[in-house]
Amino acid sequence: MGDPVATRPAASTAGRRPSRRGASLRARRRLLPWTLLLPALLVIGILLLYPLLRVVLLSFQDYDLSNVVSGESDYIGFGNYVQLLTDPYLWRVALPNTVVFAVFAVGGTVVFGTLVALLLRTLGRIARTTVISCIMLAWAMPAVSGTYVWVWIFDVDRGIVRQLLQAAGLVGPEGINWFTERLSFYAIVTLNIIHHGFPFVAVTVLAGLLTVPRELYEAALLDGATAWQRFWHVTVPTIRPVFAVVTILSTIWDFKVFAQVYLMPGGSGANPEVLNFGVWSYIRSFSRQEYGLGSAIAVMLTLMLLVITIVYLRSLFRDEELR
Amino acid sequence: MARTRALSVTALSAVVALVASACGDGGEGRTLEVWIMEGTNPDATEYFEDIGEQFREETGVEVSVEFQPWADAHDQFVTAMAGDTMPDVAEVGTTWTPEFAAAGGLVDVTDRVGDTDHYVDGLVEAGQLDGRLYGVPWYAGVRSIVYRTDVFEELDLEEPEDWEELRDVAVTIAEEKEDMTAFPIAGGAMHQMTPFIWGNGGDIAVQEEGGTWTAGLDSAEAREGLSFYTDLALEDGTSTTGATTWLETDLQDNFIDGNVAMMISGSWTPAAILEGNEELEGNIGAFPVPGPDGGTSPSFLGGSHLSVMSGADDEDLAWTFIELLTSEENMQRWSEDTTYFPGTQEQLDPYTESDDPLVQPFAEQMSEAGTTVPVSENWGKIEGDQTLPTMLQAILDERSTVDEAAAAAAQDVEETLNEGS
Repeated sequence: MGDPVATRPAASTAGRRPSRRGASLRARRRLLPWTLLLPALLVIGILLLYPLLRVVLLSFQDYDLSNVVSGESDYIGFGNYVQLLTDPYLWRVALPNTVVFAVFAVGGTVVFGTLVALLLRTLGRIARTTVISCIMLAWAMPAVSGTYVWVWIFDVDRGIVRQLLQAAGLVGPEGINWFTERLSFYAIVTLNIIHHGFPFVAVTVLAGLLTVPRELYEAALLDGATAWQRFWHVTVPTIRPVFAVVTILSTIWDFKVFAQVYLMPGGSGANPEVLNFGVWSYIRSFSRQEYGLGSAIAVMLTLMLLVITIVYLRSLFRDEELR
Repeated sequence: MARTRALSVTALSAVVALVASACGDGGEGRTLEVWIMEGTNPDATEYFEDIGEQFREETGVEVSVEFQPWADAHDQFVTAMAGDTMPDVAEVGTTWTPEFAAAGGLVDVTDRVGDTDHYVDGLVEAGQLDGRLYGVPWYAGVRSIVYRTDVFEELDLEEPEDWEELRDVAVTIAEEKEDMTAFPIAGGAMHQMTPFIWGNGGDIAVQEEGGTWTAGLDSAEAREGLSFYTDLALEDGTSTTGATTWLETDLQDNFIDGNVAMMISGSWTPAAILEGNEELEGNIGAFPVPGPDGGTSPSFLGGSHLSVMSGADDEDLAWTFIELLTSEENMQRWSEDTTYFPGTQEQLDPYTESDDPLVQPFAEQMSEAGTTVPVSENWGKIEGDQTLPTMLQAILDERSTVDEAAAAAAQDVEETLNEGS
């Protein structure tokens, strides 16, 4: 707070001692951004970095309820990681549930979002505003409410999907419990995630689309390019950074999906076949009070995301350099 | 600028006031901190204002009651233990008592309680760790079968007295009432299943002489009971496909909606059911879960203990409060208000002779056949892991046979219970 006041006398004496003025101004200029950033950095440090550090430290400990009470630490080195990596459950269930699901969810979200963006570009002002408002509703819906709506839609005994399938003669009177099978369970989760995630992609890609110069399309048309060729050879290369950003963000979000799995029938642990990394970590930590092991799962998830993000960013920057 | 300063001065004085009041804890005008679980009693505030009044008259100390919702309570306890912000006295769910005691969160009250004969056995048993008592039995609830009397009358059915009759009744309803689920087998509801394991002479786990636990889920008796229970859904068609992933709350919601004819439900639920659907008034009844060849199958006796938390400022004072809460007069009023059963045998007995059709069967169930899960500090992990619902869902979904699922669950239970010993 005192800084701007203090600079004034310094400035008034500046004429006489130019060299010192220059030095102190430069020092000030170097300090100013950091001073301005300091409050934000402090908040991030306390709210984000410290818990992150704690989780990493916890992942090297055997930490249960009695440690919580006594506050003592019990470091066991890489014990938790060894236990996790040698657990067939990780390779057979948790990892595929996380990775394969994320591939489909990210793919679905980006493809559907892009299609909606392409549609939006062709619409007139009023129609576009209407459609954007509608998809914003899907985006604004909290994950918990959204998940319950999907659970109701797919309610095994009385849900609308069941009724439609039964009316069409595809399902017998005894019905099918799609929440118990891993594949159908994740199909519903994927629908939920795409529904919740596509508005962001659509709006972001639309913003990108509007920056593509019209001349490029006209030139392509003159060369006889089809709609698909125009999209693939003109649109995609031009707004590739936009696609990179929405893909990275969707990947990060879809890897750490929690509520959309946990709140589904059987998703909170009664059906071990359907757990992903996030829910597995939560159940280990808070249901079984194995905080160390739960933290190790969380750290592994973070590392996986870091690697994916680095690979994405590298490929993105390499493209930039080529251009 | 001036306004900002004025504001910060006010803020500062507020902080000072807070600090001062926090420091004042040990001196004059002391306060006893109490945690009571929420969701058991609609007007608990008024009840505890009264109790606070009584306590002030007796000791001159104020009582500050904080209500903790059941759903978050476990986390709240753990957080409080970690941050050393525990209350002096707390209501603790019976299955948590050994766990918190082992973690060092509760005070041993064995010598204060002395003779425990007058308490309901299952509650005393649940409050013990290594032969020492950490929770005073406060109140309890038990599950029995709640059913639609109008449906029974319409189809001319009697309350079943053994498993065969139970199956016949359920099958009749399933055949006659197209739009109703006769007796849903909820895959996510553990204590709807346990009576059929216990009733047939099986056990979840038994502790040997040396303290080692042996799982009983894979015994012939337990498997037979499980087969009977799951076959109701798989063979006899008394359930629905959706019920495989139902929780206890789904069971109750569907009963309230009029979709269910019979279900296993808690003694505290009829009030909530009638609140949910007034049309059911006079149309619901209850009977104890029958045994395989007559008699009664044991059902899980859940409830609450009152515990002195370690780190209580004054353990004697905390104990005085527990004594006040468990005095005959206060207990009676609490039971009447909450429709829970008192934790002493003497106070429970009148209920077993009650002529209320929604009270007497439960009291009979509790008095004659209330039992508890393995009393172990590790039981919480088995609940957290949902080992038993996992087993039940695997059978109901026909992913595993009864034998496979029971063997897998038995292994998990045994490993977890024997952890750290």
